[in-house]
Amino acid sequence: MDLIVCIKRVPQTAEADVTIDSTGKDIEKDRLSFDMNESDSYALEEAVILKEKFGGTITVISLGYQDTEDTLRIALAKGADNAIRIKAEDFNELDGYKTAQILKSSISDLDYDLIFTGCIATDDAYSQVGVTLAELLNVPHASLVIYIDASEKRAHVHRELEGGLMEHLDISLPALCTIQTGINEPRYASLIAIRRAAKKEIKVISKKEIENENLLLNTQIEELFIPPKTKEVEFLTGSPGESAGKLAEIIKEKGLI
Amino acid sequence: MKDKKNLTTEINPEIRDILIEMGAEDIYKCYQCGKCTSVCPWFQVEIYDYPVFKFSLETALGVVASSEDKKELDKEIELIYRCVGCEACLEQCPHGISTPNILRAARRLLVDFDSYPETLKSTVQKTHNVGNPFGEHRENRADWAKGLNVLDYQQGMEFLYFPCCLPAYETRNQKVAQATVGVLQKCEVSFGILGVKETCCGEVIRRIGAEDIFKEVAKANIKEFKDSGVKEVLVTSPHCFTTFKNEYPDFGADFEVLHTTQYFSHLIDTGKLKLNKNFDKKVVYHDPCTLGRKNNIYEEPRNILKNIPGLELLEVENFNRSLSLCCGAGSGGLWLEWEKDERIVNVRLKQLTDTGADIIAVACPYCLQMFEETLKSMDVNIKVMDISEIIFECL
Repeated sequence: MDLIVCIKRVPQTAEADVTIDSTGKDIEKDRLSFDMNESDSYALEEAVILKEKFGGTITVISLGYQDTEDTLRIALAKGADNAIRIKAEDFNELDGYKTAQILKSSISDLDYDLIFTGCIATDDAYSQVGVTLAELLNVPHASLVIYIDASEKRAHVHRELEGGLMEHLDISLPALCTIQTGINEPRYASLIAIRRAAKKEIKVISKKEIENENLLLNTQIEELFIPPKTKEVEFLTGSPGESAGKLAEIIKEKGLI
Repeated sequence: MKDKKNLTTEINPEIRDILIEMGAEDIYKCYQCGKCTSVCPWFQVEIYDYPVFKFSLETALGVVASSEDKKELDKEIELIYRCVGCEACLEQCPHGISTPNILRAARRLLVDFDSYPETLKSTVQKTHNVGNPFGEHRENRADWAKGLNVLDYQQGMEFLYFPCCLPAYETRNQKVAQATVGVLQKCEVSFGILGVKETCCGEVIRRIGAEDIFKEVAKANIKEFKDSGVKEVLVTSPHCFTTFKNEYPDFGADFEVLHTTQYFSHLIDTGKLKLNKNFDKKVVYHDPCTLGRKNNIYEEPRNILKNIPGLELLEVENFNRSLSLCCGAGSGGLWLEWEKDERIVNVRLKQLTDTGADIIAVACPYCLQMFEETLKSMDVNIKVMDISEIIFECL
């Protein structure tokens, strides 16, 4: 079974002091750590699990700058066989659609039974690339996949929906799944695999190698900003009696009783 | 499962060579006597076997963390991260082998390839992103000093006081920074703090294996100290102490560093710090590994305690000074969770409480944090205090 996993290198912003850069359309990234997008690492693991079961190869592909090769190398150490970087520096602004078009051009010549992407990127949170890519490749897709039981020709997948609902699908291959976190436990890389990965070549594709005459950008960021605080939390200190007194004052002052 | 076993035992000189390059150069000195294993704090945890002796051999064979089986590899990497870096093994090794350094070489490779525990990954990222391992906001870093008339550091002051992260942010440890400042002010020492410009010393992320981010943090701190004209730094944490003193010079640092116990002991000896009030308690002193074994500071904390009127100083029999047992917080241990009957801290607290002391005196924010958190679930009547807090109570 041949598998393709699309991954993205993203800044870790969950516990960072995020600031807006001078363009007003992006964040300052100088002091941030970068990592493989969380759901992409689950997508990679799911591919490795299927490869262990069926054999075949895993190709990881990423549209990114030079440092994305570090992330691709981690993917090689964790079980991928081939890695491709599409040079982000060759393209101007990107959105979900344009990214999907570029990925489509880069992988349409490759053999695959399944393509995995993460279900959402933690930086822009668009959740567009996976499903758009499936449409462009004209293959069936399932999003938010939390379980896969694949055979040579078909896959039985579970989708996790809002409200605690679960949807079971039977899809024909080749297909694309966007993978939800929690589907598996991503593995560590062994030192042997790390050394092996260090020697592998990462294929780099530039814009001129991509046969797509008209890359469309459908959405553009107008402004990125940190919303002004609308609520404030106040901690009442002192003994229980004192803080209860302060609380009563606030309630009276605000006219809540 | 075909031939999985064989894969794990295949000798790999290439891995050996890269680990040597990353700091595991001691491996060939090992002759497998096993002394390291017998003095390792994990040896005191009855239900757990921690094979310290085998790390040198496995590294020499290039088979460390090399299983291709997912579950086996999880276990191997867990072993690598169990080491608390207390250096009890180094202290007793006939050939002076640093097993923590051997393991740190493997940790460096694993960190680079995103193959280490998630909680430690978060610790590294938070330190990189916001300058402290807890993910607290930079702008709150000096909140502990509010209302204490602590000045920002200015050139010409005697000391930069550097509390670092736990005393800056954690409620219990903030009291230690506040007591330290109280003692300094009482002794009319001229000092200031960097406040919101202060950033973690980076000791823990280096021990976890995040060498590149550590270097970035260290260089930024050194620049900040130089730009501020800092000549001498007073620290609460032995972890800052050892990093500033023994590791920052490799990156161009040229400032002096003193631990609070060294300085307060000196102030007592020179008559500048007078302890007037009685402290009628039995106090057992817990040697922090990083202050004691790593920096040979055993007597200054004891000198302070012996000079406190009314205080009866106790020792843990067989496990004091260079034989002190780690609290379990070092090298990332503070962030790792083990089963209750598998924790080093419980063993150490039993040793300390068995002395019959009223107070455990500590000189390290990590030890304080580990003991305070663990005592909450133990039915014992004992308090933990930093030595600075005891001094402050006796002024």
